[in-house]
Amino acid sequence: MSNEKVDVVIVGAGASGSVYASVLAKAGKKVVLLESGPDWELSDLISSEIWGRRIKPAGAPILLEGKNPMTYAAQGGWGVGGAALHYFANFPRLLPTDFRIKSEHSRAHDWPIAYEDVAPFYDKVARDTGVSGDAKAEEKWRPAGEAYPMPPMKTFRNGDIWLKGFDAAGIRMVPAPVGMNSVEYHGRPACLYDGWCHVGCPIGALANPQITYLGNARKAGAEVRALSTVTRILTNQAGTRVTGVEYYDDKHGKQIQEANVVVLAAWSAQNPRLLLNSATDKHAKGLSNSSGLVGKFMMSHHVASTWGMFDEDTQNHMGTIAVQYMSYEHYPKTSHPGAFGSSFITAGFALKTTDLAVSRADLFGPELADYMKQAARHLAGIKTFGEEQPRMENRVELTGEKDEFGMPLGKLFHSYDEDAVALWNANLEEGLKVARAAGAREAWSARGAMPTSHLMGGTIMGTGADNSVVNSFGQSHEIPNLWIAGPSIFPTAGASNPTFTIFALSQRGAERMASQWSTLTN
Amino acid sequence: MAGIGRRGFVKGATVGATIGALAFAVGGVEIIMTAQEARARGVPFRLLDGHQGEALEALGETLVPSAREAGIAHFIDQQLSVPPTESLLQARIFNFRPPFADFYRSAIVAVDAGSNKMFGRDFVLLSTADQRAFVDLMRQNKVEGWTGRPGALVYAVLRADAVDVVYGTMEGYEALGIPYMPHIPPEKRW
Repeated sequence: MSNEKVDVVIVGAGASGSVYASVLAKAGKKVVLLESGPDWELSDLISSEIWGRRIKPAGAPILLEGKNPMTYAAQGGWGVGGAALHYFANFPRLLPTDFRIKSEHSRAHDWPIAYEDVAPFYDKVARDTGVSGDAKAEEKWRPAGEAYPMPPMKTFRNGDIWLKGFDAAGIRMVPAPVGMNSVEYHGRPACLYDGWCHVGCPIGALANPQITYLGNARKAGAEVRALSTVTRILTNQAGTRVTGVEYYDDKHGKQIQEANVVVLAAWSAQNPRLLLNSATDKHAKGLSNSSGLVGKFMMSHHVASTWGMFDEDTQNHMGTIAVQYMSYEHYPKTSHPGAFGSSFITAGFALKTTDLAVSRADLFGPELADYMKQAARHLAGIKTFGEEQPRMENRVELTGEKDEFGMPLGKLFHSYDEDAVALWNANLEEGLKVARAAGAREAWSARGAMPTSHLMGGTIMGTGADNSVVNSFGQSHEIPNLWIAGPSIFPTAGASNPTFTIFALSQRGAERMASQWSTLTN
Repeated sequence: MAGIGRRGFVKGATVGATIGALAFAVGGVEIIMTAQEARARGVPFRLLDGHQGEALEALGETLVPSAREAGIAHFIDQQLSVPPTESLLQARIFNFRPPFADFYRSAIVAVDAGSNKMFGRDFVLLSTADQRAFVDLMRQNKVEGWTGRPGALVYAVLRADAVDVVYGTMEGYEALGIPYMPHIPPEKRW
């Protein structure tokens, strides 16, 4: 079945797709978003870790391979709002060094843009969605920008208790910037510090897309079609332009949605899967893939978690899931000798019972029961995110297995290299030193399987089709009316949580698209 | 949204939290109750057989004390009977491919095979001490002749399920003295 042609069809209603929808709908374009999962109301966001799994990934899985499989399901999204419906909303930005890693260190890739190209969009996103933090304090490590529109969030003992330890280690901690309301902002209430952010914030204090960009997009006329699974991007006979998408609706009926422009915003693993599955005789390797780089350079952050058991009450049920303090002190790529890459240090976050149990995954039986009683009042944690360098062998491919719509499943290969392992170990060792200096009666590292967080890459940006899939705005080098959005266009990962950068790059790309509209439709 | 405090929001939103309960079949009629209540009332399993239910209870109890009484087997059984996209099981977070029942059934087969090899009996028939010793080996992938998904994975998933039913509920928080502080409480306090 064919639908009325629209200006823009956006595949995916998560963080990046929602920004494009907002900007373009407000620019007067007819916009349709297709989202494979359900639509959610704020009243669906029940404060329960168990019930919160309803908004975690379902549907066709991405198959996982490699030494360090990408465990995406706890972080991923299912439905309108995507992962940003329940994200932690830590909003650190990338730093200038992230954009020129090849020039400075002869490693990985330079971005085709500089920090200064993105900085105004960080500031705009902060204004539009609301960010709480202390920009001045961060400017020790980055160029000055606008002040955040809200003061920092409240802190609790589970964060403050670490400051003595960081001070002893010579690491300056400052209030973390977060996409949450420390005070009422744009008609949305202030946070209550109940710590349920990771299952969705029903009061609107967390800047999830449903109440920010998607809300604006809907008001401007954008249409969201939930339970609509896109299986192919369609092209004209010459293969020079995309013409729309094929998808299956909520009743599993096959539909065609024609559009002047297609924006692929379906997440780092699904974007390559769709491009590869859209191969034609003119694009035998998949769309925008003459370089063979679609699906390549998948990246993750590794996370070094350190736990401390303290004598005093850490109030660990209070706060948010976002962090209270952060530091770029070890962000320079060579901060840890023999372990290349940036580290982003964080401290202080609310814990739920699942977190308490996971913090000592080796315990079971009566020992676990005893531990849970102690941890309920005295546990606190710190986390250091570490950068992984992009490598070709970390990739997404299509497999012979198919989903319920006949689309090949994607398989994600992911293994850390020696630098990543060394950096993770260095961050764990540093965490233990901080915990002991902070006065923890017991301190331990979360070892075991090396964690993966924040999938990025797969359709990276660059200067041309020989080294990348899209330009800095997310526009395909090969098909001008095909745009790609989200973390898949990051050419390197940095160590900062990616969503603020996803919003900023999407804002930049969407504004570019709107300003160049006539060149896209001719 | 301006001016909505937590108390006000909860009052309004609780009414809308209509999917916060589990449905168990009793005498052909679906009744909303907790997994603990379902176990206490002897509600028949939907998908598990009797031995599988007993095995999950024994494993759950070994992993997290009180998991048996909290209804771990009924919780898993009920959740295996709903569409995977609606499932609340940890299997979803572990990125398992549906049907999730395959994992639980094969895990029980592997546990019993290992238990029989070590002790000459199914896991449910072992003493508490032997059950603990077996789980400790399973956790470390050290059960001799183990087949199927790694023992450490079985340990992690079943432990997480048991933590859910014992500590993930409002009662579980109360037992640990942790204020639950919901924005929208689960309708059924399971």
